[in-house]
Amino acid sequence: MGDSHAERLLRSVEGVAYWGAVAPVIACLPGAPGYRLACRRGDWNFRYRPAKRAELMRNLRQLLGDELSPDDALRLARDWFRFASCEAVDVMRLRYRARPLLRLVEIRGREHLDAALAGGKGAILCSAHFGSFDCAFSLLGASGFPVTTIGRWQHNYTAGLSPAERRFWDWVYARRLRRHRHRPNIEPWAGRFGVAAQAAAILRANEVITIAIDAPPLDSDLGRTVRAPFLGHRARLLPGAVTLAQVTGAPLLMGFMYRAPDYRHQVLEISAPVPMGGDTATAFARCAAEVAAAIRRSPAHWVYWPSSADLARIGLIPPEGSGPAAADPDRRAETDGGFLHDASADVPARG
Amino acid sequence: MEDVVNDYISREIVQDPALLPLANETSLLDGGILDSLSLVRLVVFLEERFQVTVGEADLLPENFDTVNAICSYLRARDQERREAAHG
Repeated sequence: MGDSHAERLLRSVEGVAYWGAVAPVIACLPGAPGYRLACRRGDWNFRYRPAKRAELMRNLRQLLGDELSPDDALRLARDWFRFASCEAVDVMRLRYRARPLLRLVEIRGREHLDAALAGGKGAILCSAHFGSFDCAFSLLGASGFPVTTIGRWQHNYTAGLSPAERRFWDWVYARRLRRHRHRPNIEPWAGRFGVAAQAAAILRANEVITIAIDAPPLDSDLGRTVRAPFLGHRARLLPGAVTLAQVTGAPLLMGFMYRAPDYRHQVLEISAPVPMGGDTATAFARCAAEVAAAIRRSPAHWVYWPSSADLARIGLIPPEGSGPAAADPDRRAETDGGFLHDASADVPARG
Repeated sequence: MEDVVNDYISREIVQDPALLPLANETSLLDGGILDSLSLVRLVVFLEERFQVTVGEADLLPENFDTVNAICSYLRARDQERREAAHG
């Protein structure tokens, strides 16, 4: 927003250099210095991306206003940039059966997932675009759970990326996450018939489906959204995961990965199954409440803060003052819990 | 069989009353009646009601485009099952 072509180019080069060269190297360092260097890079972005920082802080205060002082907003914005840089290190530490990352992550509530699978109907683990959620899904895969994610690899859909860039992001990001997933992502896109049925078949095989449920709906999906209380507003979100749980009888759990104050340790918290009673909107509201609680507990983890267009699409802020996300190389390459989105992607960006 | 399938789709899946009564040859896909999630509902119903297992490979538009196509698919599966039972 407001960036010149030269600034965007510089940002692109910096992002490619960081993800392609720097992060793989610092991920080989011991955790403390590695993540410290990642935080330095986050601080650099925090300082030299004033437009994004301002947008992030404005949205934070708009949605969490009463809870945030200006100093809090500043601190959260800095953490947001740091987390984005740390995520690259997380992804690189998925090497060697993910052991380097597993050493730094405590998984709490694993027993809930085990119990859910013991029921024989598979399990749906819902999260949000929150922290290193993609790494969390892959970590579960590396921990022995047969995990398949519903979500699109954004670099395959983002307009304006060259084939070389798409290959780069696939190589540097998606490849590392995919390695620990049981099956290829189920990618909803236009005209794709049977996405949910494919997910249902996976559940029937008693495997785990993971999904982020807070994706902004596309125009073509607006008719399928439900309104759910979310961060003090009535958000417009897609309840596909809940419908799938209700139809198949698979337990639906929530999972969020929180980064510790030292930036290198994380805790993946998996909840007990969310009650699926009531109609779809009612059951989905319970899931949305869990997402909102996670965001309030640690706001800097939520990916969408600097993306006003996405927040407006979710229905959290008025739809003005921001265009679609610009091509940004330092982004979440996989997002989308929209589930049953059937058009090209908008790209929430980090860092 | 057509009546059972038509009745279920009309009751549980069709959202727009203007589309009723549903003809057996009406396209469920072109008409926007059947989307990915309602397909799951339909498959679960068919499996319970007609004691068949719908495999992933069978989840093709041509098998689910109309009530007639669904019933043809179910009959073909039933035939396969009988043949398998008789060796």
